[in-house]
Amino acid sequence: LEYLVLGLIAGAAAVERKGFLQAMLSRPIALAPIIGLALGDGQGGLFLAPALELYWLGAVSLGAAVPVHEALGTAVITGGAVLAGKALGTGVDGAVAVLAVLLGAPIATLGRRADGLVERWNERLAVQVEARMLAGQGAAALRLNLWGLAVPFAIGLCLAPVGAAVAAEGIPGILRRAPSSRPYLDAGWIAYAAFSCAAGAKAMRAKIAPVWFFGTLALGAIVVALVAGHIIVGAR
Amino acid sequence: VRLPTSTLALVFARSFFLQAAWNRRGMQNLGFAYAIDPALAELYADPEKLAEARRRHLGFFNCQPYLAAAILGGAIHHEEKIARGEEPATAVVQYKSTLQGPLAAIGDGFFWTALRPFFGAAGAVAALTFGLWGVAFVLVVYNVVHLSMRAWFLKVGYDKGDGVVAVIARRNLPVHADRLRAVGAGLSGLSGAVWMTHDVFAEGVEPQMVGFAVAVLGYLGLSRGGRVLPLSYAVVVLGTLGAFLATRIRAGF
Repeated sequence: LEYLVLGLIAGAAAVERKGFLQAMLSRPIALAPIIGLALGDGQGGLFLAPALELYWLGAVSLGAAVPVHEALGTAVITGGAVLAGKALGTGVDGAVAVLAVLLGAPIATLGRRADGLVERWNERLAVQVEARMLAGQGAAALRLNLWGLAVPFAIGLCLAPVGAAVAAEGIPGILRRAPSSRPYLDAGWIAYAAFSCAAGAKAMRAKIAPVWFFGTLALGAIVVALVAGHIIVGAR
Repeated sequence: VRLPTSTLALVFARSFFLQAAWNRRGMQNLGFAYAIDPALAELYADPEKLAEARRRHLGFFNCQPYLAAAILGGAIHHEEKIARGEEPATAVVQYKSTLQGPLAAIGDGFFWTALRPFFGAAGAVAALTFGLWGVAFVLVVYNVVHLSMRAWFLKVGYDKGDGVVAVIARRNLPVHADRLRAVGAGLSGLSGAVWMTHDVFAEGVEPQMVGFAVAVLGYLGLSRGGRVLPLSYAVVVLGTLGAFLATRIRAGF
């Protein structure tokens, strides 16, 4: 049932992403918590959401360009991480999250290829609409437009549970065989989260972006330095 | 002839499906014809004229989906004139083909590469500081902004017709986009800062300092043409191995 729920949400997100509304509900920042809540771990989804959003901040559909399928990637990563966290009894932590990203991120690229199928399906729809218009079925012909939502939905419905199942089975296996790897994988998650921030800033495509990015980052570094000083003074 | 508000509301609702059947041949042509159909059905009682009107909206069309609402409104404005016999049928086709490129450029530049990424980065900061409620708040604000702008575009297009370009130009969207992008980059950095300072008392400063270094080096790597996916794998592997080696070195192997 969990995989069915995941598939339905991923299918709906794949539709919302391009074919209907585009209200940011399929963006990782919304989708990851939604999937987390639906699978019984909202905090797990929330743990992943900021990093995935910043990581795929540049995934936008400009003109005829087809970006990576960030909604499908998010569904696989979040679904896989939440289900793996439940199987391990730890919830989603850094180690689980980073393994889910490593296993799930490439599926966003696969999703881009699947979008090519969607376009071909829609071309056939366009031909059908023209034929029906000539046959005098005006309004009914135009309603065929809505059938264009079927293939993206099916792609999300099918691919997300499969990808998440691979992650949900693989992650507990890895962490049970090598439990001592957890702290190192946690460090890998910190590195990924930090890189996501850089990817987010770079996606802003502004000349002045480096000033703002490094400026705010420096403020954080100063706070860490002050805390470090506090710890050192406290230790003495 | 002025269309009733209910018809315009139906056109607006259908405009959400503009890209439902996006294809490389006509791009948003099916979506545009589907969205404008309630207005055409209202304007043309003669089935022949209605069929002809439907066919002329099946031509190639592509625009940023939010700003396409302005062209949709303007196309209805022109269809009213065509229905009254004040314009030739080619006027609306020309109107669409003239405006779709410039408005797509403005829309892509403002909504897709500035407003939405800005709210994405704001959502990341909100998630890290306020949790689920922070995310919900950011999404509500984004949708109030974007839906009201889409409705306004449709109304201005419908009221002004060709004048819609001047009205949208006065809004200075490219200038606002530059500001949003700059602040968005700052919010991305702020996310990093919040992240790295979050558990600093619990986890110590070393992982956080590594995080800052990765953020700086990651940005520089991406600026030099590095691709996001391979770089992210490299960063994770190096971060994990680095932590392992640091532990070993500290323990004296």
